[in-house]
Amino acid sequence: MKVDNKPGRWLTAALLAPTSMWFVFMLIFPLIVILVFSFGERAAVGGYAAGFTLEQYANLPSRLKAFQNTMVIAPAGTLLSLLVAYPLAYYLALRVSRRFKLMLLVLVIVPFWTSLLVRTYAWIFILGGRGIPTLLEFIGIEGVRLINTPGAVLIGIVYGYLPLMVFPIFVSLEKLDKTLLEASSDLGSSPFKTFMQITLPLSMPGIATGCMLVFILLMGEFLIPAFLGGGKVFFIGNALVDLFLQSRNWPFGAAVSVTLVVIMLITVSLYMRMVMRSKTGRDESLM
Amino acid sequence: MRIYAIAVFLFLYVPIGIIVLFSFNAGRHASELRGLSIQWYGKALSNPFVGDAFVTSLIVAFSVAILSSLMGTAAALALQRLKGTPRVLFDGLIYISVMIPGIVIGIATLVALVTVFDFLNPLLASIWPEGSKPPKLRMGYASVIAAHTLFTMSLVIILVRARIAGMDRALIEASMDLYATPWRTFYQVTLPQIYPAILAGFLLSFTFSFDDFIISFFVAGANTTLPIYIFSSIRRGITPEVNAIGTMVLAASLILLMTAQFLLRKRTRR
Repeated sequence: MKVDNKPGRWLTAALLAPTSMWFVFMLIFPLIVILVFSFGERAAVGGYAAGFTLEQYANLPSRLKAFQNTMVIAPAGTLLSLLVAYPLAYYLALRVSRRFKLMLLVLVIVPFWTSLLVRTYAWIFILGGRGIPTLLEFIGIEGVRLINTPGAVLIGIVYGYLPLMVFPIFVSLEKLDKTLLEASSDLGSSPFKTFMQITLPLSMPGIATGCMLVFILLMGEFLIPAFLGGGKVFFIGNALVDLFLQSRNWPFGAAVSVTLVVIMLITVSLYMRMVMRSKTGRDESLM
Repeated sequence: MRIYAIAVFLFLYVPIGIIVLFSFNAGRHASELRGLSIQWYGKALSNPFVGDAFVTSLIVAFSVAILSSLMGTAAALALQRLKGTPRVLFDGLIYISVMIPGIVIGIATLVALVTVFDFLNPLLASIWPEGSKPPKLRMGYASVIAAHTLFTMSLVIILVRARIAGMDRALIEASMDLYATPWRTFYQVTLPQIYPAILAGFLLSFTFSFDDFIISFFVAGANTTLPIYIFSSIRRGITPEVNAIGTMVLAASLILLMTAQFLLRKRTRR
């Protein structure tokens, strides 16, 4: 197909025009506005007054707790999701017959595409006063409080983001050359050694993709801490909702969002470097 | 290993099952199961707020799905002919718009649009003819649709592009060699091959938009979508009615996902 002819070029531009417009007006422009706001001052009625001050950033420590919670629970939740997801991905990719493989994978992914809101609020039931604590009372364990603890938030995280972790790991394990595993065991390696020396290193790209997807989404999480943390375990996302919709301190909220985005960009670039170093292709699949 | 897998599947599906079970609760209290009945579905369906929220969600999700599949497909087709810096730039923007958390998109869109509206509204009022009421720009359908579409159109681009990459290019060349016009080649050769990806993109965009809470929470203005309604009801206390609405929302996404899966299978088998 000829590409550099003139009508072809016009067609390409026309096809890309709506998308470009969206990127400019709905992504780049809003991010610039947020950046500008974060250096501004708070107007008397709430909202924004133009200016250039670092006051908002200097004020960040007043929301330190939200940052601390996020930076501790998000990585912990990512790690926990990985620990739960890996054996399942391994089982689906290497131990299940071809016939059931796709069906079971779909069963793992489907919940991710249903309402996180509804799924998370199911856990208010399960962990709340009349859920598991009542069941524990039957067997004599009393006074257990589950809801509104970091543990509850962690359970919600694993539950909500497990599919996103399983999928990339499954893809990388599925691509793995099975003859390598046979060769390894033929040469007398124990199953454990085969796993540590072949399976695990070859599934690293999947692990990295899964961890990054989950970690980045967790950094901006609002619903899970709002429902299961009950105002005690709150994330940056909860602070942002408060700043923008309740206390209406937009310039400070903007500074918090910019900080959040910067932390995420640092994470992504670290991830990219890690991927480059291991010289493996990234997964193009994001479903 | 198998037992572990079963345990994880239970972990994934039991909470959903509990919501469904309790939505058929005959009793008044959400956490006590007293016999089965469908009365809460009747209550939910006759609640005008639920009806309004449902219609709003449908309008938004449908517009988002149409816009994203059209724009995303167009962009995916064009991107394969783009090279050099513009290509890198586009790839970067697609990547960012998929990865950036919804809450940041919600906040940034809210702040940017409110700023623009505050600037434009007095301007519109000043140029508007005397006597008639000038239009007032505000957050509403358009802002939610636009904000959702940023994510979903990039999703469609990724899906369609993957399909184009797996396409048999010889067919396109054959079509060109046989003197088909570019439009005809597109319509008769390319489109049938990328159609499943477009359809999957359409359904996923619809589901995403229909289920999204956080972006809508910031930019929906006075409009209430179904997730926003559910969120504020939960804040007031869990009732069996919320469970019934939640079950219907889950069922809607499940039906759409199953349809997507079914259509994709059917297409590939032929």
